[in-house]
Amino acid sequence: MAATRDAVERFGDRMAALALVRPKKPESLPVRITRNRIYVLPTGFGLFLGAMLVTMLVGGLNYNNNPALLLVFLFAGVGHNSLVHAHLIMSGIRLKAIHADPVFAGQVLPVKLRFDADGARSRPGLQLICGESRSDFELDANEEAEVVLDLPTQTRGWLEMSRLRLSTLRPLGLARAWSWLRPDSRLLVYPALELNAPPLPEALGDGDSPRTRAHGEQPHHLREYRSGDMPRQIAWKASARADRLLVREYESAVARDITIDWNAAHPLPYEDRISRLARWVVEAERSGSNYALVLPSQRIPAGRGAEHRHLCLRTLALLPHG
Amino acid sequence: MVEPIDRATRRWCLLAAAACALPLLMLVPGWLAAVLVATGLLAAYSERPWPAWMRLLLTLTIGGLVLGAYGFRIGRDTSCAGLLAMLMLKPFETHSLRDAHSLLGFSLFAPFAAFLQDQGPLSLSLALPAVALSLIAWSRLVPGKHASLVPSVRQAAASLAMAVPMALAGFWLFPRLATPLWGLPENSFSRAGLGDRMTPNEWLDALVDDSAAFRARFIGNTPPRTQMYWRGPVLVHFDGEAWTRDIGAISMPGPALQSTGATIRYEVMFEPTERRDLVVLDLPLTTPPQSQLNGELTAVSAEPVNNLVRYVGESAPQARFTDPLPGWQRRVALSLPPGHDPRTIAMARQWQSEDPDPLVLTRRFMAMLESDFKYTISAPPVGFNATDDFLFETKLGFCQHFSSAYAVFMRAAGVPTRVVTGYVGGHYNKIGKYWLLKGKDAHAWNEIWLEGRGWVRVDPTAAIAPENILDTLDDLQARQEAGLAGAAAGMLEPMFDGTDFLRRQWNQLVLGFNAARQQNLLRPIGIDEAQAWQLVTAFGIGSALALGLTLWFLLHQHRDRSPPLVQAWRALVKSLRRAGWTKEPSEPPLSFTRRVAAELASDGPALISVSQRYTDWRYAGRELTDEEQKALIRGLRGFRITRRNRP
Repeated sequence: MAATRDAVERFGDRMAALALVRPKKPESLPVRITRNRIYVLPTGFGLFLGAMLVTMLVGGLNYNNNPALLLVFLFAGVGHNSLVHAHLIMSGIRLKAIHADPVFAGQVLPVKLRFDADGARSRPGLQLICGESRSDFELDANEEAEVVLDLPTQTRGWLEMSRLRLSTLRPLGLARAWSWLRPDSRLLVYPALELNAPPLPEALGDGDSPRTRAHGEQPHHLREYRSGDMPRQIAWKASARADRLLVREYESAVARDITIDWNAAHPLPYEDRISRLARWVVEAERSGSNYALVLPSQRIPAGRGAEHRHLCLRTLALLPHG
Repeated sequence: MVEPIDRATRRWCLLAAAACALPLLMLVPGWLAAVLVATGLLAAYSERPWPAWMRLLLTLTIGGLVLGAYGFRIGRDTSCAGLLAMLMLKPFETHSLRDAHSLLGFSLFAPFAAFLQDQGPLSLSLALPAVALSLIAWSRLVPGKHASLVPSVRQAAASLAMAVPMALAGFWLFPRLATPLWGLPENSFSRAGLGDRMTPNEWLDALVDDSAAFRARFIGNTPPRTQMYWRGPVLVHFDGEAWTRDIGAISMPGPALQSTGATIRYEVMFEPTERRDLVVLDLPLTTPPQSQLNGELTAVSAEPVNNLVRYVGESAPQARFTDPLPGWQRRVALSLPPGHDPRTIAMARQWQSEDPDPLVLTRRFMAMLESDFKYTISAPPVGFNATDDFLFETKLGFCQHFSSAYAVFMRAAGVPTRVVTGYVGGHYNKIGKYWLLKGKDAHAWNEIWLEGRGWVRVDPTAAIAPENILDTLDDLQARQEAGLAGAAAGMLEPMFDGTDFLRRQWNQLVLGFNAARQQNLLRPIGIDEAQAWQLVTAFGIGSALALGLTLWFLLHQHRDRSPPLVQAWRALVKSLRRAGWTKEPSEPPLSFTRRVAAELASDGPALISVSQRYTDWRYAGRELTDEEQKALIRGLRGFRITRRNRP
């Protein structure tokens, strides 16, 4: 809901670019929302009601109609208190941590943000917005909340988070209280994977020993699931029996090391070449072989596993933009 | 872009709008109210929008009905009914967030409009739930999860309660307008009150009204009840059927009066009538503010009385008119409609020839009334010769018959006479020590001109012997209240006095507040006539105080909702911190208390014991009965470090 933005909200968002608006610089976690960085402006509905009340106030004063004035001042009091209340909902919220498992450029990056808050107040109706993506949540007293914000990605490398807006319309929808968050956290985005890439250059490198692709047929052993393992590696039946996630580990001693070489993708333009290499890294990891990554400026020795894969993809992601 | 609202939200919005419309609905004619309610219900249950032409047709029909109900006159009442009709039609197109917002915004006008017409307790008490429901509906329109019914209501009540300090600061201190910016809208109908017309055949409008007309309190001496004549419009023109006012005298300044006895001071709180006449105690020496005494000594307000008016006046029960009666006034006060009441005129001429002294004539007339006439409110109708019929045939009547007949008689006998309408007597409220005068206390009496003294009050109705009073308004009321309730009315009198007293206090404190009283508000702090800037400052200070109070409430309204045992444990940790041991956030409870206990010689075991039991319950899943829990809470809260163990 609330996809339309009224004029006041657009105004507030536009003002965010002003140098005066806090926070002025990106800041390191944890970020605590203090009173001097909370902005409160009425919503369109709030302005409309305000205009109604002013009309009624003038009418009531003119006729010296005391019940009408009492009514107006009661609503004015409620409205004013709702501004204060909105401020209090925001004040004291803390952004503790940001984490995102890297995705490939072009995919949606689910960013997990962990919030908590001081004091025994509950903070309902919070909304976190970054660009076009938004997420609604609430914080109970003495509780933490993890909010997932789906950010679109376009290019590899560090994704600088733009301004995050944490806002609330509570308690009455008359005003929006918001605060800008500019965490200095960087989120990694892997290079986009090439579609329809040629098969792995398996035989590259020193070709003395006979290649025995034993993948799949060879006896394997099971190990605990580790973050980053491919879902297809999970041994579902075995996991169900053991009541925990187990992953097949292939005997790869027989498999030859693969060298993924920058030059092997030679005729391609720079970025496409990175995409192909990234695809090959993923394929190589999936094949269960050891693989090395050779780049013009550096070489990553052969290895295997989630961490090795991450290292390779990270290196590719962080190659200077050509 | 249209954002639809779900059904529950729509229901809340419609409910709030209905609650807002209710005070206004009570003020429109019954059949129109029924039509509008039916329209509203139809609109509420139309979940899908109607075709445009049908809506247009319905709108035109309802608009026509509203105009028709008020005789096609555009006045304040008509506009209010129009607003009401709009509110009732609006739900037909309330399906999106935007529509809901505008419905809720415009419904705020409904109680406001109701207050313009009526400031009675009913309107006020209906407005409060309307406000609360509006708040709930507002909060429902905010996206996100919502509390269920009871917490919603509680929240709305809390928001209202917290708004009270701010509202009061605004109410008392926001600078008021001493003179209105624009005129008051003319109303198409007035309320019952003393009118410009009196017909013996018809009751005074006021007589059928059981609501309060005004409340009066005497400052200092209280006159005897028989002297409490509250003077209203004076009627001088008689056309054989009805008595009407004199247009000329209305704009004349009041005649000069010379008090010959003690004067009486009083304070009146006059309920709104939407007419311009006020009441003053006979004979008035002072004029209520923003009004003037006209040539007939009627107090006329500069504006129609739309709000409660409060004024202090001074009167002289015995006063002399210093100026002679102007010729034209004498002519008017002697004129009779030609061709009416030959028998009365003949009798008057006859008596006049026997003794022309007005006082003697009056005495004879009164004696006749006393011996032969009876008072009843259900008098038979009289014909063309109304006075003849009354004096010689029916001999039954109430104040209008008596005063009219006396005036005709005296005029025929050559004594300038006029009819005065007003209020007499009233009910004394023992709790508030004031007099309450209702519509049914309206009365009509006469004044005759005596050379050398001026206008002198004569009340022919008072001549009726008590045993000849057959049927009074009180009896009628008792009959209407039927049997038991009527009998109980006597016993309920203290209760009635109490509620009326509360009503008066509310009137005094709230409804009668205006710019003049606001100026005097700062008198306790030494500012006699507050200037605008002083009021603005006071308003600023007042709202700042109110804001402080609100903040305090907001910060403290969220109570700790964790289990009592956990609260008790936190209290223990806090008390230990005060004693000098701080629990690290990462430190498990038991390690913390062991660390502390190691430094406490004799208190150690007790501390270990309670914290062991606590951790067993909290972390090891050990069940505790209510009794055990209470004991543990006592142990945790009651733990004290003895003096010699203090660090």
